[in-house]
Amino acid sequence: MEKSSAYKLKLGIFVTVIIAVLIVGIYFIGDRKQLFNNTFRVSGIFKDINGLQVGNNVRFSGINVGIIEDIEQISDSTVQVSMLIDEDSRKFMKKNAKAIIGSDGLMGSKILIITAGKVGEKSLENNDFIETRQPINMDEIFAKLKITGDNAASITGDLAAIMENIRSGKGTIGKLFMDTTFAENLDKTLINIKQGSKGFKKNMDAASQNVFLKGFMNKKDEKKEKK
Amino acid sequence: MIASIKIFFEEVAHLAMFTFQFFKQVFKPSYEFKEFIKQCYLIGYKSFPLIGLTGFIMGLVLTIQSRPTLVDFGAESWLPAMVAVSIIREIGPVITALIFAGKVGSGIGAELASMKVTEQIDAMEVSGTNSFKYLVVPRIAAATLMLPLLVISADVIALYGSYIGCNINGDVSFPLFILQVFEKLSFADIFPAVIKTFFFGFSIALIGCFKGYNATNGTQGVGKAANAAVVYASLGVFIIDMIAVQLTNLF
Repeated sequence: MEKSSAYKLKLGIFVTVIIAVLIVGIYFIGDRKQLFNNTFRVSGIFKDINGLQVGNNVRFSGINVGIIEDIEQISDSTVQVSMLIDEDSRKFMKKNAKAIIGSDGLMGSKILIITAGKVGEKSLENNDFIETRQPINMDEIFAKLKITGDNAASITGDLAAIMENIRSGKGTIGKLFMDTTFAENLDKTLINIKQGSKGFKKNMDAASQNVFLKGFMNKKDEKKEKK
Repeated sequence: MIASIKIFFEEVAHLAMFTFQFFKQVFKPSYEFKEFIKQCYLIGYKSFPLIGLTGFIMGLVLTIQSRPTLVDFGAESWLPAMVAVSIIREIGPVITALIFAGKVGSGIGAELASMKVTEQIDAMEVSGTNSFKYLVVPRIAAATLMLPLLVISADVIALYGSYIGCNINGDVSFPLFILQVFEKLSFADIFPAVIKTFFFGFSIALIGCFKGYNATNGTQGVGKAANAAVVYASLGVFIIDMIAVQLTNLF
């Protein structure tokens, strides 16, 4: 009898320990899936979810706070995404918070990012709908990039035509750059102006010595000294 | 040729009847509870050191072997998650079941075969004991319930081996390792893997008992029965594993 209870004890300890390990493991996984946690549900309507899947993470301020619970197509252009989010972070999510679909790194899986709303708004309630913003689609970016590229091409084409005109001396700027006679004319004009202004200065000097204007000049000098 | 095919089908029919008889006997009252506990101890507890050591080496080696490929991809941080998924989903249950078949399947086969050829089983029948209920049912029930526990313990020890493997070349703290392991695991990884081990345990003990209980030709038959038990039990493990994979993929 003594021997029999010894092996029963060993067997009992063995079975208990392993079942405990299994339960701890299940709890760890369930904890991550948030089955045993307090959660609340929020939904958002998207046009295009870019390959978001059930079980993807929901991120708020860079923290994983929940998972995508369900994805349902409700019409030809709208998809409803419902998510389970940790109750603890509810107080930080305001009514006007926005949901955007992004990706975890360049190659990583999709995530749903919630941006905090304005301070002072009420917090989200259970089963609320959250505002959404269209995710940035790589194809859209490429389409826009193509338009930009086309525009750049036509601009550089115009620029090339203008440069061509300038080089051949057409138009005002072209003359300025390329026409040598224009420059000579300008030079001559400048010399003429110089001579003209010299003559003008002589006239003015003579005027200041003039009897009729002397009184006026003296008054002006006095005012300067006072100051 | 035709004779061997005939023998094969007769064998299948015998095995089916044997299985049917097991299910008929296992629910009938007057349970051999004491014998069941004793077999649990012999089959489960006594196999633990062997399976623990195998599990540890399995985790360590798998980690060290996978490392260079993952380093090439720059995905070294995925090592714990990848090793954990492959151990828990596939390698843990199958390798443990094969070791279990080698230790327990052959043990049951040889034990019952030697009882059979020395006519101990016939003597039990004559004395009014239900030999099937006393010998076969507790062994199959014990193996069915003990193998899942052994697989779980082997998984845990293999993960510890993997942790050591990660720390031979790299540096991963234990909390981070646990976090990375459980981050990638889901219930879909654990439950099918645990459920199929019940079937592994059942088939290993069933084939062991069947081969032993139907042994013939004296002492020669004992060796044959033990050998056949291991071979067919291992084959059975792989066949059940293939079916289990298909069933898991359905959901």
